[in-house]
Amino acid sequence: MRPYRQFPTAVRFSLRNQSRNRLAAILLVIFVPVWYLLMKAMIPDTALSFRVFANASMVRVDGRDLSYITAGLNALSLIVGFAVFAAVRRTLAFDRRLVWAGYGQATLIGAKSLAIALVAAAVSVYASVVLLVYWRPSVAAWAAILAGFTVIALTYGAFGLLLGVLVRDDLEGFFLIIMVGLFDTFLQNPIGNPLANRPVLRYFPSFGPTQSAVGAAFDRVWLWKYLLLGLLWAGVLAILGLCIFIGKTRVRGFRPLALISPGRQRRIAGVDDDAATEGVPTGAARGGDRRT
Amino acid sequence: MSWKQGDAILATDVRKSFGKHEVLGGVAARIAFGSMVAVVGENGAGKSTLLRILSGTLAPDGGFVQVSGRIGFCPQTPVLSDNLTVEQHLVYFAAAYGLPSTARADELVNSLSYESYRRRPASELSGGTRQKLNLTIALMHDPDVLLLDEPYQGFDWETYLRFWSLVGDLRSRGTAIVVISHLVFDEDRFDAVYELHDGKIRRHDPADAQTPDGR
Repeated sequence: MRPYRQFPTAVRFSLRNQSRNRLAAILLVIFVPVWYLLMKAMIPDTALSFRVFANASMVRVDGRDLSYITAGLNALSLIVGFAVFAAVRRTLAFDRRLVWAGYGQATLIGAKSLAIALVAAAVSVYASVVLLVYWRPSVAAWAAILAGFTVIALTYGAFGLLLGVLVRDDLEGFFLIIMVGLFDTFLQNPIGNPLANRPVLRYFPSFGPTQSAVGAAFDRVWLWKYLLLGLLWAGVLAILGLCIFIGKTRVRGFRPLALISPGRQRRIAGVDDDAATEGVPTGAARGGDRRT
Repeated sequence: MSWKQGDAILATDVRKSFGKHEVLGGVAARIAFGSMVAVVGENGAGKSTLLRILSGTLAPDGGFVQVSGRIGFCPQTPVLSDNLTVEQHLVYFAAAYGLPSTARADELVNSLSYESYRRRPASELSGGTRQKLNLTIALMHDPDVLLLDEPYQGFDWETYLRFWSLVGDLRSRGTAIVVISHLVFDEDRFDAVYELHDGKIRRHDPADAQTPDGR
């Protein structure tokens, strides 16, 4: 029999860990449609000016439809950020034990990243499909919105990963995700923020996905560069998080050694007589070694 | 295995401090394959720190440590993933250890009598059953050196006896076993009992326990 393969095993169980968060699942099923419904009820369908930075133009957009997009981005940032943060933080000690037991760090990282990406994609598809209940954009516009949703979900998944390895307390992490997510997505919408359309917005993570989704939905332009800008945020946050993950799950010591004689073993240790070590028999050895 | 003779653990002058607090101030140990030793000491004496250093999960500030062969490490607090079932834990660690099956782990599950919990997630297990799973993970790859930190916490009497039977079996097959405990009830089960005190280790003499200062 061949040994269990590490990568598929880790993908399977990482996915299970990500998807077993009941609160995140409830938020997804209830919060997303309710959030859209609130936009429908509260936001008038009056025209607004929205700056598409790619062609430096102001586009007239339906305020309610724009709010559907920013509400979806906001909901995804919170739900995916929260789900990934909780899963990563709660399994950090367990992951350290897996690495100690022989799991390749790169394998575990690859599997976790894939699991996060799959969850982010699945949740984005769900939010984009639910959107159709409230608003029917063109197929191309819907596809662009789905792409924007996926990028924001990846970005906040990476942010959740970073916080999961960095923050010691659940509450701190949740608070940071809620505050950053709300702040970031709220600022992009001119309905809630009189300062929207200003260049400073480009320094926020949801800038790229918002621009690309709104550009395609209302200006019929595919803004690939802005989608990539969002992906850059996701990549940088993920790399930071994974570097800390590597440091925190690293096994601090043993390197494999070939079989060595007991005499050499004691010479390496600097043990010449039995006074230094106490009263237990001695002999040959192989395996791990650590010197400091 | 012919190489399984002699020193399983060799440590000299192991030192570790946390901030200004010196926990281990030059600990030496030499533990043979097929022997079972206990390390006792008061709370905060540095027992778990020593075991973590021997297991490779904590770096010492100085000294030398060599552990030969595959290590099994059972941490004091069960390190499990709450969303995964018992069975999934076994598969995950079989992949980590590079095992082709969970046959040995299945034996251990049966032996520790928690086979009816195989499909339960860890979050639904009692403290004692979590500890059984924690121990199973430490034993399932048939380690040559076994490091156990308070391993029988939460066990009922029957499981406690099964634990000793399992450990006795491993010892007879040449496994070196170190058990950390703040209390050792059955000193005669061990080849030696060591005491950690003020950052130093010394052999514990049961007769010493009768004097108040332990000398």
